[in-house]
Amino acid sequence: MSRTRSLLATLFCLLAIAAPACALDAATIVRQAMDHYRGQSSRADMTMIIHRPDWERSMRMQAWTAGDEKTLVRVTEPRKDAGNATLSVDSNMWTFSPSINRVIKVPSSMMGQNWMGSDFSNKDVSKSADIVSQYDHTLLATEEHEGHQVWVVESVPHEEAAVVWGKEVLRIRDDWVLLEQQFWSQDGELVKTLAALAIEEMAGRPVATVMRMAKTDAPEEYTELRTHAVEFDLELADSLFTLSSLRNPRQ
Amino acid sequence: MHWPLGSLLTLAWRNLWRNYRRTLIMLLAIALGVWAMIVMSALMRGMTDQMVRNGLATLPGEAQIHHPEFLLDPSVVNHMPMPAGRLLEQLNSAPITAWAARLRVPAVLASEYASRGVTLLGVDPAQEDALGSLPETLLEGRMLAGADDRGILLGAGLAARLETGLGKRIVLMTQDTANNVADRGVRIVGIYRARLQGDEERFAYVGRGALQELLGLEQRVTEIAVSASDYTAVDAWLPALQAAASPELEVLGWTELHTFLGSMLAVQEGFVLVFMVVVFLVLSFGLINTLVMAVFERTRELGLMQALGMRPALILLQVLLESLLLLALGLLAGNSLALATLLPLRDGVDISAVAEGMEMMEMGTTLYPLLALDDMLMSTAVVLTLGLLASLLPAWRASRLDPVRALARH
Repeated sequence: MSRTRSLLATLFCLLAIAAPACALDAATIVRQAMDHYRGQSSRADMTMIIHRPDWERSMRMQAWTAGDEKTLVRVTEPRKDAGNATLSVDSNMWTFSPSINRVIKVPSSMMGQNWMGSDFSNKDVSKSADIVSQYDHTLLATEEHEGHQVWVVESVPHEEAAVVWGKEVLRIRDDWVLLEQQFWSQDGELVKTLAALAIEEMAGRPVATVMRMAKTDAPEEYTELRTHAVEFDLELADSLFTLSSLRNPRQ
Repeated sequence: MHWPLGSLLTLAWRNLWRNYRRTLIMLLAIALGVWAMIVMSALMRGMTDQMVRNGLATLPGEAQIHHPEFLLDPSVVNHMPMPAGRLLEQLNSAPITAWAARLRVPAVLASEYASRGVTLLGVDPAQEDALGSLPETLLEGRMLAGADDRGILLGAGLAARLETGLGKRIVLMTQDTANNVADRGVRIVGIYRARLQGDEERFAYVGRGALQELLGLEQRVTEIAVSASDYTAVDAWLPALQAAASPELEVLGWTELHTFLGSMLAVQEGFVLVFMVVVFLVLSFGLINTLVMAVFERTRELGLMQALGMRPALILLQVLLESLLLLALGLLAGNSLALATLLPLRDGVDISAVAEGMEMMEMGTTLYPLLALDDMLMSTAVVLTLGLLASLLPAWRASRLDPVRALARH
């Protein structure tokens, strides 16, 4: 239902391409950007770099997503971390560590803590698509950027949404690439920013291949996600997003 | 046998003041000893009383009803129905003055900058007010308005740690009965100040109805706290409550719920007595010495009395009377001194200099000495009994003097 509506909105936008500012509604833009980012389903090969002023480490990982609610991430390199995996279905999350050979359910008390030592929290990983339904979106401005139109959308969480931010500001390019996601405190301070540093064509669509999450007051501490390869809209078996697949990789 | 008590008493009294300097020194020693016994036990009693009161204010109540597994595994899985039927009737009858049905769950509160683990209490403010278990001091904002209030009440210490404040939204995360994550944004409606800094960071309050909704637990709670306003008299009404509760529920008094406080109170009773006996044992050496000297000085005189026909039993009695008079005077002075010390301290002694250490014992920054008549009676009993026992030896020796040898002494 919401897909047909967004499709209609896109069609309408294409028809009205001559108009200076396309009258696309902000919620649709965000929905489209999230769909573009995750696809109906996706498989990605990426490297996560955790950078601190005095050290840096990187992990190569594979990630699968299906819909908004299912995510599986498995570390492949370095060897000592290989096999560590995280499965998230709905708002629940499990981790598997081969060194202890145990699947552990991440308790609610740990959801706010960082994921694998990065600047992403467990919640960021398990609820990355929440922004569509849990927020009210307003289109703030439309800008020009390197020959593309860029929408600036302000997203304010619903009163009882499980979100700590006062607001988020999204900058979305007209080909649905998310250029920047800013996290603002309720006092109106910018706390952290997720920014796309490089955009390349992959699997037939533009993809933000380097994304960096950094805190405003400590720009030297950041986590970068570099995508090496990605496939979208492939057939993924439902059995992929289960606890047994978390424990025993079949791919 | 004739007991000339009147003249013995006169003799004893006059003998007492023959060497008035020695007697005064001994009196001073006894008075100080008695003063120390009473003041120390009043301070200790005040301390334990306050520990118990503070402990019961946060427990809360003097008895609680739980699912039998709840105390071993304080998880929301071990929930129980709201009181109904006979239990409800019993809860609403005297001497129970207040009760509150509440949800107690571990939770995590997260702000933009930090997250902290807390004990989240889903309460009905009207019930809690009667129980006196809500924080007393509200710094900002308001208390919860009712069981269905959708806001949260935070301690000032916790708000500072989360770098948040009144009117802000924070995220409350906990687990429902199926161990799934249950979370929701809540707005801070009030900031409170607790007497103990630790409580301020440990407890956050939300409306019971709102929490039941988040956890999917309609009309279920995890504990019922019951109070009859006097922690010493729980045994009078606890059995009736236990009988009224259904057998699937566990009803326990505070001495079992908070075993530390329970044993603390029991140990204190014994400790006061041990302390008094120790103080008196030190004193008794002085007392024996004084009496031995008094008897030694009067060897000739005692021999003369015996030679004139005074029976040894009367001599024994006379020395004991002398000791009794000394002890009674000492007790009188000691008790008055203790009263004079404790009455001005009734409004509390400021112990904020050692507040951090005291807080570990659930104490506030003011110590209220508690003078108990029992302690005064006990110190009197200890001093008289042990004092007379100690005087027996010199008195016995005085009565066993051989008159011929005693008279021959120079």
